[in-house]
Amino acid sequence: MDTPTVVSIKDVQKTYGKPNEKQYTALKGITFDVKQGEFVGIMGASGSGKTTLLNILSTLDKPTAGQVEINGQAINGLKGNQLADFRAKEIGFMFQDFNLLENLTAYENMALPLTLQNVGGKQVQDFVTSIAKTLSIDRLLNKYPTELSGGQKQRVAAARALVHKPAILFGDEPTGALDSKSAKELLDTMAQLNEQQRVSILLVTHDPFSASYCQRILFIKDGQIGQELVRGDRPRKAFYQEILDTLGTFNH
Amino acid sequence: MLLKLSLTGIKGRLKDYIVLFSGLIMASAIFYMFEALATNKSFVSSNSPIRMASIIFQIGSVLLGIITLVYIIYANNFLMSMRRRDYGMFMMLGAKGRKIAQLIAAETLVIGMAATLVGTVLGIGLTRIISNLLLSQMDIQVKQFSPFYLPAVIVTVVFFMVLFVMAAGVNQYQLLKTPVLQLLHNDQQPNHVSQNKLGQLVQIVLSLIFLTIGYTMLINVATYQIAGLVVALVTIVLGTYFLFNAFFGWMLRLLKGNQYIRNRGLNNFTLAQLRFRIKDYTKMLALVAMLFALALGAITVGIGYQSEIPAMAKTMAPYDVVLNQPNPQARQLAKNLTGVKATANYDVKEDAQTVYYRATQLKKNPIMAVQYSNDRAKGIKPVQLKTLQKGNVAALQAIQVPSQFSKDVKVVTDAEFSQIASGTIPIKTYRVKDFMANLSVIKKIHTQQVIANPELAKGQGALMDGSKYVNYQMANGMFSGLEFMGFFLGIAFLAMLASCLMFKILSGAASDVKRYTMLAKIGTRRSLLKQSIAKEIGVLFCLPGIVGSIHVLFGLQLFKQIMLNPYQNLWLPFTIFMILYVGYYWVTTWLYQGIVLKTVTQ
Repeated sequence: MDTPTVVSIKDVQKTYGKPNEKQYTALKGITFDVKQGEFVGIMGASGSGKTTLLNILSTLDKPTAGQVEINGQAINGLKGNQLADFRAKEIGFMFQDFNLLENLTAYENMALPLTLQNVGGKQVQDFVTSIAKTLSIDRLLNKYPTELSGGQKQRVAAARALVHKPAILFGDEPTGALDSKSAKELLDTMAQLNEQQRVSILLVTHDPFSASYCQRILFIKDGQIGQELVRGDRPRKAFYQEILDTLGTFNH
Repeated sequence: MLLKLSLTGIKGRLKDYIVLFSGLIMASAIFYMFEALATNKSFVSSNSPIRMASIIFQIGSVLLGIITLVYIIYANNFLMSMRRRDYGMFMMLGAKGRKIAQLIAAETLVIGMAATLVGTVLGIGLTRIISNLLLSQMDIQVKQFSPFYLPAVIVTVVFFMVLFVMAAGVNQYQLLKTPVLQLLHNDQQPNHVSQNKLGQLVQIVLSLIFLTIGYTMLINVATYQIAGLVVALVTIVLGTYFLFNAFFGWMLRLLKGNQYIRNRGLNNFTLAQLRFRIKDYTKMLALVAMLFALALGAITVGIGYQSEIPAMAKTMAPYDVVLNQPNPQARQLAKNLTGVKATANYDVKEDAQTVYYRATQLKKNPIMAVQYSNDRAKGIKPVQLKTLQKGNVAALQAIQVPSQFSKDVKVVTDAEFSQIASGTIPIKTYRVKDFMANLSVIKKIHTQQVIANPELAKGQGALMDGSKYVNYQMANGMFSGLEFMGFFLGIAFLAMLASCLMFKILSGAASDVKRYTMLAKIGTRRSLLKQSIAKEIGVLFCLPGIVGSIHVLFGLQLFKQIMLNPYQNLWLPFTIFMILYVGYYWVTTWLYQGIVLKTVTQ
């Protein structure tokens, strides 16, 4: 049986600027799939189009041309509330700067995606406690974000992104604001989630170390996919070396 | 170059600047409106029967000045919250501190000055419109009042200039003192509020005790007099403060404790926002509640006087119309009176010393008189013939002309009456259901009565025409000035306090952008975000409104002494006030949504 595809993007283009102005094409026809349970990385230098791609995938921006399907549903036609609901159900987000609400406790932050869908109180509690255990933050539930370390905050953010069991987890440089130890712990956890719970992850990063946790890496350059690396059965260290080598040649 | 950069910065945030600018214009316009009344001594003194009025206006003036100061501080914070980043960037690019300081000063002063001038002109226009409206709507007589009044213009312009010079100074100082990095990253995220439970409990109890003492003083103001007023003022202010500092926080926690409320949509977020805000805004909300009470109180008392005037006239004359020796025109006009309850005819004869009445007529249609008990009018009752015959004839003055007041009165039999050798004067009295409804007819009749009895126009003091119409006119002259002032004061205060609240809320909006953007990203519907904002701001407007209204209900006790019924027609001022207040709420919500939701791409 084929593994289902959670993200499928086909020939996506994105052009900024009005027709009569100077136009800038950020994405020049990108095509790739993410299968369920995959851990895919997207790498590229600043200005390569990473962020534009992520914005389009996460339905925050619309492509100028091409199709985007998430969990089997085309998102091009969705509007307003449909888009918001779609994001709330199917997508989980992790941001570089955590984006936790400072005036809510860790528990309340994590419960937010569920209460948005008006899930009952008992169920909210079950889901939140179970994801908190998985991410080993179950002792921090009643703390406010200001009482947490960077690594703990990002774990809470990860829990918030996963609590409603989205089809895919998007990470936008989630380790960018963490020290190396916290970053490693977070990545280990993500890899573990991916392996044990079959969580599909799409990670956008320019950090080779973070990327080395992925199973497959797409390199973007000037709005196009320039190269693809697959880790296969190799140890992470070897993969890391290959990424470094690729980056050395790729960017020039 | 810097000036050019600065102007580009303003252009980029034109909408925010329009909000700020129109807010400042309103502030100076309102301030002018108020000063146009307060500084016009001849108006104040010629329109109020009590000398208190000019003191009331001076106090009002000081209060309005304080609110304006607070308002300018908030508006200024709003301005700075918009410009901090730009200034930080200029400094990072190497602009000298002194240059930036000049730029800040110039910007604050230019905006302030332009707003003040436009506002003063607008104020003159508004004063004209509102005074015309008031004058035409309610048969008000106002003397010595003109929309353009030079001293008021001067006071307004000078006052605002001083405020803006001060604001410019504060801005310079604050900006130059703050490190550049902090200017660039001014993400002061409000934190959660931790509260000491025991302290909160103590404050809740204190607030209730203080309010109880204050309200008791107001209710029993007759007993405690001035001391009671002072105690009430202090305890109510303190009580209000503690109420906002502790009580509402406690209520929000109760709401948050409710599973069902907490787990729906964004409620948890909204409640958390509110908890932070109410704590942060404690002084502000307490101030708004007090001002709300003052403003609503002023309008209520103003409108109260409006309904007081006919009521007052009623207690001074038992008959709505007395036709004394009427001419044919007056008789004709009297037929137009509507809702006539009772009429009576009396024949009168008089000589140099004595006025004669017929006992049979006075028995058949007893003369009516206003009954008093404890110095208060208690309705109109017939006077027994016996009372008149015993010599208590004061009641008869109601149907007399002034020159008869000092004459002897004799109540005689019909036979005796016919023997008196002088002409019979016919008198007819009318009592109608609704004096105000018949006002225009009664006014015409009165004019005819004066033609028929020229002495009516000359009488003064004890010899004054005692008819209801004249009494009405006198009360109207006395109270409509007060009514006008009440309205003006109320509207000026309301506009100021609501603007204060508006800017305080808006100046916090910039730091909320990130939160709402994040909520939108994780899939919150736009409508839900709007709802959350509407709820949050709604509560911030509602709480001081409710507290202020309760203060007013107790505060009206003060006017029991000088008004017949201060609680009459309470719905009218409350409705007018609510409409204006709700208007401010909508504008604030709309602007806030515009600020925090505009960056969300869909």
